[in-house]
Amino acid sequence: MEPLSSFFAVSVILLGIGIYGLTTKRNAIRILFSVELIYNAANLNIIAFARLRNPPIVTGQVLVLFTIALAAMEAAVGLSIIILVSRLNADIDLSKLSKLKG
Amino acid sequence: MTDLLFLAFAAVTIGAAILAIEARDLVYGAAALGIAFLGVAGLFFLLDAAYVGWFQIAVYIGAVVVLILFTVMLVGPKKGETPLELKRVSLLAAMLVSLLLGMTGALANATAFPGPDACGSGCDLALFSTSLLKNYGVPLEFMSLVMAAAVIGALALSKTDRGQ
Repeated sequence: MEPLSSFFAVSVILLGIGIYGLTTKRNAIRILFSVELIYNAANLNIIAFARLRNPPIVTGQVLVLFTIALAAMEAAVGLSIIILVSRLNADIDLSKLSKLKG
Repeated sequence: MTDLLFLAFAAVTIGAAILAIEARDLVYGAAALGIAFLGVAGLFFLLDAAYVGWFQIAVYIGAVVVLILFTVMLVGPKKGETPLELKRVSLLAAMLVSLLLGMTGALANATAFPGPDACGSGCDLALFSTSLLKNYGVPLEFMSLVMAAAVIGALALSKTDRGQ
């Protein structure tokens, strides 16, 4: 079987891609993509660490199950906010949204 | 065999993730994101977490990607484009990513975390589902409550006032 370090490496690379997108992109949907990628990196990390024991630790897999469900909810709420913003503003560039600034 | 499968899944995941961030068209980006989720699900299968892998396929590709595609269609492809990027922040991000990749290089030392033996009956689905329902039954119910609240909140947020 493939050593677990390779799975950790894939997870860290996914995290790096997510952080890169989070800092350089300004489109709200693109930033949501980045957040989902970071979620996936975390899930992969947890599953790989749960596999460290033999048999795998069930708690880690249950935790990832809950994380996936929470990520789906977060995406639903975030996308409805994006739809609301696109209705109120001309575009969904996050750097132009300063309506709540004091 | 597993090594080849791992390489294929890892390459697909990373390539599709980069494409999801960098694709010019948001629709292509959403499709690439779905492929990246599929690759992560494949990695879950390799880690003997079959149920989590199927859950990932059902929730991410069945729900999240479809939701994102609907939003891209509703918002409109024109609004999705932002040609201007921040130069300095981009440099910072490149530094951060290279730092992370360096950490990966230090960590990708195969002796630190050797691959576990193939598990026989330990990876049984019955064990997982029994533990899920026996030990985590109450959190599961709370999860469905939170899910209902999130759906109602999303509906309330995107409601239009047609009367005005």
